[in-house]
Amino acid sequence: MNRLFTIFAYLFVISLFSLQAATKDKVSFNRDVRPILSDNCFACHGIDSKHRKADLRLDVMEGALKANEDGAVAIKPGDIKASSLWQRIITTDEDDLMPPPDSHKKLSAEQREILKRWIEQGAEYQAHWSFITPKTPAVPPIQNPPSEIRNPLDAFVLERLAEEGLQQNAQADKESLIRRVTFDLTGLPPTLAEVDAFLADAAPQAYEAVVDRLLKSPRYGEHMARYWLDLARYGDTHGLHLDNERSMWPYRDWVVKAFNDNLHFDDFTRWQLAGDLMPNATVDQKIASGFNRCNVTTSEGGSINEEFVFRYAVDRTSTAVEVWMGLTAGCAVCHDHKFDPLSQREFYSLYAFFNSAADPAMDGNILLTAPTLRLATAEQDKQIAGFDASIVTTEVKIRDAIAKMSYIDPATITPPPPVQTSEVVWFDDGFPAGVKVEVAGAPTSIITKEQGPVFSGTTALKRTAIDVAQDYFVSGASFDIPPNGKISTYCYIDPASPPKAIMVQYHVEGWNHRAVWGEEGAIPFGKVRTPEKVQMGGLPKAGEWVKLEVATEKLGLKPGMKVTGYAFTQFGGTVHWDRMSINSSVDPAKDPQWSWKIWAEKNQGKRVEGLPNELLTLVRGKKPSEWSVAETRQLQDWWFENEYQGARSIVEGSRGEKLAIISKKKALEEMIPATLIMADMPKDRESFVMIRGQYNKPGDKVSRGTPAAFPPLPKRDHYTRLDLADWLVAPEHPLTSRVTVNRFWQQFFGIGLVKTSSDFGSQGTPPSHPELLDWLSSNFRESGWDVKALVKLMVSSSTYRQGTKASPELLAKDPENRLYARGPRFRLDAEVLRDNALFVSNLLNPTIGGKGVRPYQPPNIWEPVGFGGSNTRNYVQDKGDGLYRRSLYTFLKRTAPPPFMATFDAPNREQPCTRRERSNTPLQALQLMNDIQHFEAARNLAQRMLLEGGASSADRITWAWRNVTSRKPSESELAIVQETFNQHLVKYQANVEAANLAVSYGESKRDEKLNASELAAYTMVANLLLNLDETVTKN
Amino acid sequence: MNPLIDYHYAQTRRQFFQGAGLNLGGIALASIMGERALGAAVSKSQVHPPLTGYPQFAPKAKRLIYLHMNGAPSQLDLFDYKPELQKFYDKDLPDSVRNGQRITGMTSGQARFPVAPSIFKFSQCGKNGMWMSELVPHIHEIADEMALIRSVHTEAINHDPACTFVMTGSEVPGKPSLGSWISYGLGSESNDLPSFVVLTPNFPSSGNAQALFTRMWSSGFLPTKHSGVALRAVGDPVLYVKNPPGVDPSDRRTMLDALNKLNQQNFERFGDPETQTRIAQYEMAFRMQTSVPELADLSGESKTTLDMYGPDVSRPGSFTQSALLARRLLERGTRVVQILHRGWDQHGGLPVNIAAQCKDTEQACAALVKDLKQRGLLEDTLVVWGGEFGRTVYSQGTLTKDNYGRDHHPRNFCMWMAGAGVKGGTTYGETDDFSYNIVKDGVHLNELNATILHLMGINHSAFSYKFQGLDQRLTGVEEVKVVKGILA
Repeated sequence: MNRLFTIFAYLFVISLFSLQAATKDKVSFNRDVRPILSDNCFACHGIDSKHRKADLRLDVMEGALKANEDGAVAIKPGDIKASSLWQRIITTDEDDLMPPPDSHKKLSAEQREILKRWIEQGAEYQAHWSFITPKTPAVPPIQNPPSEIRNPLDAFVLERLAEEGLQQNAQADKESLIRRVTFDLTGLPPTLAEVDAFLADAAPQAYEAVVDRLLKSPRYGEHMARYWLDLARYGDTHGLHLDNERSMWPYRDWVVKAFNDNLHFDDFTRWQLAGDLMPNATVDQKIASGFNRCNVTTSEGGSINEEFVFRYAVDRTSTAVEVWMGLTAGCAVCHDHKFDPLSQREFYSLYAFFNSAADPAMDGNILLTAPTLRLATAEQDKQIAGFDASIVTTEVKIRDAIAKMSYIDPATITPPPPVQTSEVVWFDDGFPAGVKVEVAGAPTSIITKEQGPVFSGTTALKRTAIDVAQDYFVSGASFDIPPNGKISTYCYIDPASPPKAIMVQYHVEGWNHRAVWGEEGAIPFGKVRTPEKVQMGGLPKAGEWVKLEVATEKLGLKPGMKVTGYAFTQFGGTVHWDRMSINSSVDPAKDPQWSWKIWAEKNQGKRVEGLPNELLTLVRGKKPSEWSVAETRQLQDWWFENEYQGARSIVEGSRGEKLAIISKKKALEEMIPATLIMADMPKDRESFVMIRGQYNKPGDKVSRGTPAAFPPLPKRDHYTRLDLADWLVAPEHPLTSRVTVNRFWQQFFGIGLVKTSSDFGSQGTPPSHPELLDWLSSNFRESGWDVKALVKLMVSSSTYRQGTKASPELLAKDPENRLYARGPRFRLDAEVLRDNALFVSNLLNPTIGGKGVRPYQPPNIWEPVGFGGSNTRNYVQDKGDGLYRRSLYTFLKRTAPPPFMATFDAPNREQPCTRRERSNTPLQALQLMNDIQHFEAARNLAQRMLLEGGASSADRITWAWRNVTSRKPSESELAIVQETFNQHLVKYQANVEAANLAVSYGESKRDEKLNASELAAYTMVANLLLNLDETVTKN
Repeated sequence: MNPLIDYHYAQTRRQFFQGAGLNLGGIALASIMGERALGAAVSKSQVHPPLTGYPQFAPKAKRLIYLHMNGAPSQLDLFDYKPELQKFYDKDLPDSVRNGQRITGMTSGQARFPVAPSIFKFSQCGKNGMWMSELVPHIHEIADEMALIRSVHTEAINHDPACTFVMTGSEVPGKPSLGSWISYGLGSESNDLPSFVVLTPNFPSSGNAQALFTRMWSSGFLPTKHSGVALRAVGDPVLYVKNPPGVDPSDRRTMLDALNKLNQQNFERFGDPETQTRIAQYEMAFRMQTSVPELADLSGESKTTLDMYGPDVSRPGSFTQSALLARRLLERGTRVVQILHRGWDQHGGLPVNIAAQCKDTEQACAALVKDLKQRGLLEDTLVVWGGEFGRTVYSQGTLTKDNYGRDHHPRNFCMWMAGAGVKGGTTYGETDDFSYNIVKDGVHLNELNATILHLMGINHSAFSYKFQGLDQRLTGVEEVKVVKGILA
């Protein structure tokens, strides 16, 4: 085995070497020497002045040629013997050897040879290649090209292949081609009709027509957005600690739209980095600025604000530098960058652009951490204005009614007025007559004493559930909330099957009043720790009837409100419910809702909910004796309207109208989406170099600026993020365009021309085709940063259109396909795999955009990790359409991402990800074979085989094979599948019970007319076809 | 992955398929019969191969069990005995001790910092008289196997960054976890179980226990196959390991035989080594469908063993059962098992809650060490126990004779190790009388991780992965030392 290893290692070295220097005699500093010096020397002899050893710098020529105290020079051009660098490399004295043994760095023989030849040839330095503005290189003339040159891109590739003595593969067959390009541009496979049309189209431009069609498909934007969202670190939760939900999806939808509209990349850049600062910023520009709000945030108790304000600014800076400049800025947070010309001071000058962001250190664990943008339609805004006007009208009516009222405070009367009590039953034996009882879960069951525990009367409500389930009504009966009301409900929990939580909720113009016992997060409705969701305590004792009592006040149910519905809710378990009633007891002389004096005494110094702001401050801050006459009058008016029970009959009509309008307004407001956007504080925060990257150790003050190694910003007194964005897309900027075209190249060809697509610095790998990269980036910039044109150029090339066959010799020479002697072939990404299965089975719901959905997910992905009080602790799977949307729209909880994503190398979006891994693991195999969504897709594909695929098994298998691979099976392939089908059919005919199980997995209903055994056998065949190497691979 | 290794891996596998003279049906059959039936040829097709040259030197420990007590257990009530504190009950923590150190936003507003001595009794255990509290009576019995470090310190003061630090050596998300690093370096011997497995058992307090994050076992920038695989108590133990309803193993076999043949034809058409890898991975998936349920089946365990772990051993998802599963995983070749137990964040009501936490875990911790020992596994298995930081000597909230709470304290806390290469009965490091500052032999978490790697035959400073232009290490950029004082 060792020998085998050596042979392959040898082959590999040869091939790597051939990518670099072997074919050219002259050593190139940037291509050959810099990577060696950078990796082995710059850490101690680079630009980081603080950690520089022996005062020797090797990253610039002046440093290398400077004599030290002893008169020795590191490099004497042309003279190996007089170059101490060379002597220190070849010495056998461990004390002198460079790199030093304890660095664990070692130069290979080839690397030494390169350094030697470089010094001998004159030790010429070059600025790092990626920091030089690209010029448009001449397209190499290729005499008698061995394969077709469709555009200049091919010429560059062929020139290099000729040097290596290689040729390109023949062009891929039409079926492979349409499948490849359809996946690459839309993330979905072609339909059979599309394949047939392409096969029938003999026109020379048939392929271009397909590309044009795909670029116009709305699926294009969805697919392209997916890659960008990895960079933007987009998620649907805050990401740290509680990891609560955050509303950011309008940004995601904007990215889709931007690609579909072909927003040119310069504006795409400006809008995201500084959309909020654009003159007369449009709604889309503001949404786009949310790029800088996608970072993870916290609200963990005890966190230190300054620390997180600092971290967010560092995150935004590093992200911008990685995404647009392809550099790793992280190092310069703590010290000067060791390899690239980015000093710590320069890092903090960039950071100063982001350090004035207006968002708070603590996200508050809320959905919409300011600053946010409400996205109302004109119609919605009009409705809101209408509500506001109606509210004013009702307020006038209320004030008039109160003015006419006479009032004597009962607390001032002797003897005091008598105490009054009452009880009204809301539920006993069953729901009120005339209401329409609705359920979530199995049908309502009312049981008798013979069937189980009943508390009073003859029957009780019983429900068994596996997750959230409820019995409720919303209209047909109404109940008044009396003053000092207490609602009591009797509940009996089955000790053999306790729920996680139980809940009663009340409907007053909406479901906004809830009381919960048991686990707080289990039932996902309502905003925790508000009247929308009051945590009453642990679960009541099981095995006996327990009276659950809730004060109406606690739930925000005010006297005079009308309850028009209620619900019994539980998470899992078995629960019995009986007798719900409301009691009240009033002593007017001591009751703050009858006596103004008592109310004022009781509430002084408190924060009274519902009071308008200025009155709230007054009551909180001053004693009644200090209130002015006018202030007392105002407060009393409020009290009469909202609290005083004696005024109910007088104000109730108008007040009811007012409350109704307010709650309609609130309901509408809640429907209006909103998204986090970027904004700066009115006054800039000062920025400092933070010593060793510590948030509490400010050093020198810095102002906004860009690193000196790059073209300067135009002269101006004050710079903003918009200046930074303009600078990034300025024609002379050496990186933005290269980094961007390289990422698109990586998307289509698997690996970038610069393999380290997130590192264009001296530690990154040099480009395999430097002239091609420069040609593409100049071309891209000159096109006005036209993304669709760039994409079309790439996928139209002969290089892209080649067949993918790799001979063992080619594989040995170029295992990663960096030379492009064959077409791109690699496993489809997580989202594409799932979308493909949904698509070919006709399950896919094509709706574009909207809030994140929750498709199938095994139990216990969120629950074992989630914080108790988190609103994303319990995963409640969607039903119906939500299960079958494109994967782009799956709700992404960052601390527990969906397994279909994580298993197939999707990042968890805590940091930007420029390039996904492409692993190949048994867990992936298990998922594709057994995951309910894949098996359900197999069954639906099987159903299509039976209904659309023809009459014989051969026809049906051929039809399905074409659907998943776009080509017909070979005879041998068909024979293998047919034999398997026959085996499955025999088994399922003998075991109909198993067949029935296999065809009922998943929510979609099967066609009952089809024979279960036959459908099950085809389901296994479809499962097989969806797992083919060819199906899961872009070929 | 390094393309060379990937490539080489594909080659050896091809060599194996062809050289062994077996057609795919043969492989499939062998898979059903179990790997061993194929003999020596198979050992070369290791599914989780180590890096070339790893371990770098003869390891003391071949396997690691990491028991992470999430939320930060109070060192003052478990292992850091401070008898003098009783005199300071309800007195203010002297400024000279606090010395202006930062404290969290939760107690920085407190008017005073009253000292809360532990209400639990301490006693000496083992031949060297290691001090432990009455909360961990079973752990008393393994004192002679343990090295107790009382002077561990970390950097973060809040849970999220501290948990990220303790498991990945960085407060900022995105770095590989300890288990992933080890899996990357050493691979594992098992060809039908993952090399790095994570268990997240239930815990007693139903309230707001601190969260875990998948980043605590994710592979960060390392290849994703080194991510910890969470073994689950609810649903399938490994995600999707179970066939869909109505599909039995023979149906799956039928399907896989066809899949292998078709994929082999596909390989012949395109010559892509990934296709070969895929064939092998589907076969491993099939083996896991047997090996995983077998792993979770405790019916072969003796009554003595089950009793030693305690009554909760039969409750799925309990810490106790997780501890036993950890041993079974190691026996089957898994390299690293990490159990993350939640609920240790006692800001208030500490005495009652920590007692419940200990009751839920400590017997099983001790049983695991004893069980490994009696099977001869402890000599090359390392067991590590600890949280993400410590807790303050002063009470958070009201202090009474029998109730107090404690805030976060990153400046010192206790961890213990047992097993391979660890000097049993050692107490290492010292803190001041208030368990507030380290006075001797501080151990930074990076040093602790360096020590774990050292025991596993890895030189931490030479163990790096190139990412974003840097040689990234688990133990960070600064020089750190292995903690020699706890090594046998």
